[in-house]
Amino acid sequence: MITREEIQNIAILSKLFIDENELDTLTQDMAQIITFADTINTAVEELEDFEDINNLSNVFREDEVLPSYDRSLILKNVDGGENGYFPVKKRV
Amino acid sequence: MTYELVSGLETHIELSTKTKIFCGCTTAFGSEPNTNCCPICIGLPGTLPKLNHQVVRYAIMAGLATNCQINNISKMDRKNYVYPDLSKAYQVSQFDKPLCKNGYITLDSGKKINILRIHIEEDAGKLVHERGDTFVDYNRGGVPLIEIVTEPDFRSIDEVKEYVEKLQLIMKYVGVSDCKMQEGSLRCDVNISVRPQGEEKLGTRTEIKNMNSFTFMAKALQYEYDRQIDVIESGEQVIQETRRYNDDTGETESMRGKEDAHDYRYFREPDLVTISTTDEEIEQIRSLLPELPSAKLDRYINEYGISATDAAIIAKYRKVAEFFDEACEGVKAQKIVSNLIISQIFRRFPTDGEKEDFEISITAKMLNDLVLLIDNGKLNMNLAKSTLEKMLDTGKPVSELVSEKDLSGVDESALRQICEEIVSANPSAVSDFKNGKTNAFKSLIGGVMKATKGRADAMLATKILEELIK
Repeated sequence: MITREEIQNIAILSKLFIDENELDTLTQDMAQIITFADTINTAVEELEDFEDINNLSNVFREDEVLPSYDRSLILKNVDGGENGYFPVKKRV
Repeated sequence: MTYELVSGLETHIELSTKTKIFCGCTTAFGSEPNTNCCPICIGLPGTLPKLNHQVVRYAIMAGLATNCQINNISKMDRKNYVYPDLSKAYQVSQFDKPLCKNGYITLDSGKKINILRIHIEEDAGKLVHERGDTFVDYNRGGVPLIEIVTEPDFRSIDEVKEYVEKLQLIMKYVGVSDCKMQEGSLRCDVNISVRPQGEEKLGTRTEIKNMNSFTFMAKALQYEYDRQIDVIESGEQVIQETRRYNDDTGETESMRGKEDAHDYRYFREPDLVTISTTDEEIEQIRSLLPELPSAKLDRYINEYGISATDAAIIAKYRKVAEFFDEACEGVKAQKIVSNLIISQIFRRFPTDGEKEDFEISITAKMLNDLVLLIDNGKLNMNLAKSTLEKMLDTGKPVSELVSEKDLSGVDESALRQICEEIVSANPSAVSDFKNGKTNAFKSLIGGVMKATKGRADAMLATKILEELIK
């Protein structure tokens, strides 16, 4: 069963702020989501293990240089990117 | 009480591919910030990565060169963490199915340092801190890395240093990376713990991140070893955490509590398909591997009879070793080649970096021609040395610098006649020598060399002169 502490830890790792009084509800919601996802474990396995759902392998590109984007496009959605960098907001 | 150091290493090496791991942007170093970027590099939603085939080949080469097994089936995973050097909030790496596993590198002592795994991943962007603000350059984001993880097999700082030097040399030989520590293309994270001598159980470890110089690494390890002993001796406990080495203070300082693997919530990268490599493909890559440094060293010492010190100097630089090998083609006394390189050619390449790049004005074939003449007794050592100087100055082959006449040398009877003339023309030098002034002999030899315009074999001239004076 998922615990309040686990929810709190996930929030810390994701840099999310969670109010103390939200924790119980979130814990319950998350528990429900996990229980729902767990139903897949009850499925009967008749087929071999597969490595990936697409059953594809080895989709590669060769090592050939393509033009990069113009920097103005790369920084288009950025406030304060005038010096050519992405500025980082101070973290709380 | 004495304490034993226990250390393991994670080495990140930037691969020398032309393009990034998941897109066609260049990996060139030193470009203007954010100019080698595309929507994949900055992690825009809706973009799809496509794996660079060369990254897989290089990683397998690195694995084979360090005695690893190659996993036939491998895959990419997402390693989740929130930090601005990665715009996606995850790094595409490998978790439970790395490309290579269970290798080792042998130290000079014969001790094996076991390599747990080698996996491929993308490098993160670079944070620039300026006047209290932080900025990100994503040019490095997506540059392909291999991470080489060892078991905690190191018991001394010297072992760590030797391993990194050997690893660096192997990767340069194989050609998968330039391994330039100063440019950050080889960086080490060091795990370190201490335990009382004789104790089996491992102590709590700390990790020192991102060291890109041997000097820093040695200092940081020493500091951390002493610090952990102090903590234990004062009755406290070492905390498992990530630390950074501050070269200004010479100390390591706490960065953050160490994440456990489950904190990264690894899961399969759904945008990339399985990497499958057949045994035939692995053997094909193995056949492309060049002779590795340890094998070269062994050949130089045991087959060529070169001293271990000289052999190590030659093998230390890939380009020098290749030049040396080519210059030795058909040569009976390879030692002459190594001597000419170390004592003469290296004078023009004083620094480590210059030897590394080894931009020499003559080809290895030209040196080979010169040495074959020495080998066949057509050119004496003195003349060979001065000819080599001219060759290095002009880049011209020996045939353009030495005449047929020079090459004919001076045969023994002609040389004997010249020696006789010199002896009779310099009675004072002869009597000085007989009276114990050994320096007087040099002037006689000098006279012979002058008379033969340096073509005489100095050893033979010495022998004849000694006979005459006796």
